[in-house]
Amino acid sequence: MVLEDWGRRMRGLLAIVAVLFSVLLLRLFHLQITTAADYAKESEDNRIAQKRLKAPRGLILDRDGEVLARNRASYSIMFTRGSRESDAEAVAAVEEALDTEVRYHRRSRNIRLLRDVDIETVAIVAERLQDDWALSVEIEPQRDYPYSELVSHLVGYLGELQETELANPGTKRYVVGDYVGKTGVEKVYEDSLRGIDGVSYIEVDARHRLKHEHPFPDRERSYIPGSDIRLTLDLDIQRAAMEALPDSLAGSVVALNAQTGAILALVSKPSFDPNAFVSYRAQEERRQLVQDEARPLLNRATQGSYPPGSTLKMVGAVAALEMGITDTLSTFEACAGSLQIGDVVFRCNNREGHGELNLLQAVETSCNIYFNHLAQILGMEAWWSCADRLGFGHSTGVDLLPEEREGLLPTRRYYREREGWVTGHLMNLVIGQGAMLVNPLQMARYVAALGNGGYLVIPHVVGPAPDLLTVEGLSENTLAIVRTAMRRVVYGEQGTGRRVAVEGLDVAGKSGTAQGPREGNDAWFIAFAPTEHPEIAVAVVVEGGGGGGSVAGPVTRKVLEAYRDDRNRRRPKMARAELGGGD
Amino acid sequence: MRWTREFDLVLLATTAMTMVFGITMIYSAASASSVWRDQAMFSIGALLLAAAIVYVPDKVFYDLAYPLYIFGLLLLLAVLIWGTGEPARWLSLSPGNRLRLQPSEFAKITTIMALARYLGDQGSEAVGRPRTISASLVLTLVPLVLVMQQPDLGTAVSFGAALLPMLYWAGMRPLHIFFLLSPLLSVVFSFEPLWQNQAPIVFALFIIVSSVIIHLLLTRLWLTATLLAVNLGAGLVTTYLWSNLLRGYQKARIMTFLDPESEPLGAGWNIIQSKIAIGSGGPTGQGFLQGTQTNYEFLPAAHTDFIFSVIGEELGFLGAVFVLALFLFLIWRSLYIGAMANSRYHSLLAIGLGSLLTFHVFVNVGMTIGVIPVTGLPLPFLSYGGSSLLTNCISIGLLLNIYAHRHEY
Repeated sequence: MVLEDWGRRMRGLLAIVAVLFSVLLLRLFHLQITTAADYAKESEDNRIAQKRLKAPRGLILDRDGEVLARNRASYSIMFTRGSRESDAEAVAAVEEALDTEVRYHRRSRNIRLLRDVDIETVAIVAERLQDDWALSVEIEPQRDYPYSELVSHLVGYLGELQETELANPGTKRYVVGDYVGKTGVEKVYEDSLRGIDGVSYIEVDARHRLKHEHPFPDRERSYIPGSDIRLTLDLDIQRAAMEALPDSLAGSVVALNAQTGAILALVSKPSFDPNAFVSYRAQEERRQLVQDEARPLLNRATQGSYPPGSTLKMVGAVAALEMGITDTLSTFEACAGSLQIGDVVFRCNNREGHGELNLLQAVETSCNIYFNHLAQILGMEAWWSCADRLGFGHSTGVDLLPEEREGLLPTRRYYREREGWVTGHLMNLVIGQGAMLVNPLQMARYVAALGNGGYLVIPHVVGPAPDLLTVEGLSENTLAIVRTAMRRVVYGEQGTGRRVAVEGLDVAGKSGTAQGPREGNDAWFIAFAPTEHPEIAVAVVVEGGGGGGSVAGPVTRKVLEAYRDDRNRRRPKMARAELGGGD
Repeated sequence: MRWTREFDLVLLATTAMTMVFGITMIYSAASASSVWRDQAMFSIGALLLAAAIVYVPDKVFYDLAYPLYIFGLLLLLAVLIWGTGEPARWLSLSPGNRLRLQPSEFAKITTIMALARYLGDQGSEAVGRPRTISASLVLTLVPLVLVMQQPDLGTAVSFGAALLPMLYWAGMRPLHIFFLLSPLLSVVFSFEPLWQNQAPIVFALFIIVSSVIIHLLLTRLWLTATLLAVNLGAGLVTTYLWSNLLRGYQKARIMTFLDPESEPLGAGWNIIQSKIAIGSGGPTGQGFLQGTQTNYEFLPAAHTDFIFSVIGEELGFLGAVFVLALFLFLIWRSLYIGAMANSRYHSLLAIGLGSLLTFHVFVNVGMTIGVIPVTGLPLPFLSYGGSSLLTNCISIGLLLNIYAHRHEY
């Protein structure tokens, strides 16, 4: 034998072997028994790719089912990440084949290299690139607005969800790159339009080649499509309003169902093509829209702020009638074209003066002096209270975003805190000037209330109609007088709104020519029709348009004509009966 | 020589079983290709060779130990000059690289033979002498450095694997072995990346404890002083190299070697995928041919260096333990034959071969489960590869030969 103590040395060698094998055994036990589940998960993560099944977004329809927002197929070039070097090679190959620059983030395993590409690009990728690189073509639905500029402010548009927005609660169902409603109906009704995405799985190998489809059938979930949304909008009236507004000037038209507040038309001009926001390629157009000095993205119907001018005179009329200060017969001192109160001279629109007028005549001719006299007796608080009850200074609660601007109904205190109160302020307010500011939607609600028997509707684009708000302290008698006066604006011999007369429809209205901050006067016209139990209320403003009756009036008429034609089409029998004077 | 009594059938059968198991797993790892058939052909040839070696007179291996060692060195030199492959580790035996040999595998055995011859010729008392130790070191370091030039760090290190066990078996005192080992330990304990800020403290502790132990046990001041000087030197040189001489990218390469998982898509990919394969195998595995890490190509080099990961994934903890048990038996059998051998030379040879097998198994399996950095050493008898199979079967043949001649003094 080799050594005396060979047995001891053999034990030493065996001990070392035992230690080494124990290390291996313990480690194996740790990997395969203790933490096996973690590694099973990692193994699954390696080979299982989750695919989100995007729920198709609901359509947006007008009241007759005309499609205002729909989905079309859009192609994206997807890339599955490998090592840094092979990625760079692949991207270089794509750039060369497509002659384009590719920017991408290595955030996730599946990278969207190019979005919303044309069909030629899809063909190039499928035929020349897909075999050599881990590229695939993904078809995604993309929003499409067939009526483009016509309904953009109302329908709104989608935009890409930003990473910063993901932190918000309520964005759990979203991932970066998703399109979400940014404005209008798209935003307000995002939740029901969106639907719920589904999920499916595929099994792939290390080079991302498909091995099995549906490896986990019980874990898969199909999508729940978004709900279609039908608006109260009437596309014919909308189109008439859009065409009636002069193209060279900014302006807005709002047409409501005078009884329910359903929005029949809502136009803000200049408008924009909402497709620029959903197309990945239209970045330049988007930038131009945002920077355009004409501010096409501003929804003037809800976010515009204008002095209302003479259209506000009915507030004073209503307040005075309710307090018994005037009636249809009594007159004030004759209008001589101007009136001096204190040191200030207030002028009438007719420099020669209207002479002696009663309330009906004063509304018909829109005499400022009459209302100055009226206001002196009425006082600030009574006038203010009436304006407040008719909704001025308050948002209408319309279901549209972005949030409407509620204008300004100044109080006595408002003036005290600034230049100090003088009666002259009320002289301005009563004719819709001074600090008074309104939006067109408020004006439509106001004129609807005058026509519908004295309640404020809540304007809405999606039914059912919200509850109505009765304006307190408005007697039927007062409203009847106001209706008569407003009818005379259209049909009276000296009416400022004679251009608004529509055949086959009895119209009541009021013009307004407001001096705003802009150059030139803002032209207003508000109307409802028919005079008895009105169905439609319209408010039109044209920025810098000049005379209310001559500029905003014809726009109102075209809107009412469209309404009339539309109504005749919808209810041919009733319309014939009305025209023929009954059976 | 009587067939039944002198032939270690158990060793041969276990080896054959391991190889059949290997072919089966190679089939699973690369079922699309025909590599498993190649491996089966190699296996039959290699086993026949092992059986043939039994019938060679045992004195031949003693006489040829030095000539074979020289031949091995010449082959390694030839690789450096005419080597093929990337990196160049092979010698082409036929045009078109159809048949090629990896001389470093062969040289491992010839080196162990030369060491056994040299240490066997010395008496057990002479083993502790500096001259003996130096000569053993030279015998080991020459092929080691040649292989390092290829470069093939993993294989190079395995040349040193048998040295310490053989010195120990030849009669060296454990304390002297510790003495030999301590500079290496100094390098490890002073290596900053391993210990971060604690490196000076760890190193100081090691120096103090080792010096005290040596001094108490040997009670010779000059020995303690030498040890202290050598260890301090090794530690300081390591620290200096790391902080002053190595460039940033060299450090990065060393760091990646130590912690491959810091680069999950690069150097760490292999080890991460291997751990996922083995861990996901669980207690009983995914089933033969069912491993997704293997079959979906997440696991690289599945049929060669990472064959153990395939076993771990498809056969689970049970399969892995079975493989370790096979190796444990082979190792135990080598050591046992070492104890039975009829001469000092043959005894040392058996121990050396057993140590080499232990080293290969520990380094390869350790690599697949993430306890040892990735080196690229194959798993004996299981990994695909002719040279490795041939060398390991020559080892088995030598062991069978030693066993068969155990009674002939």
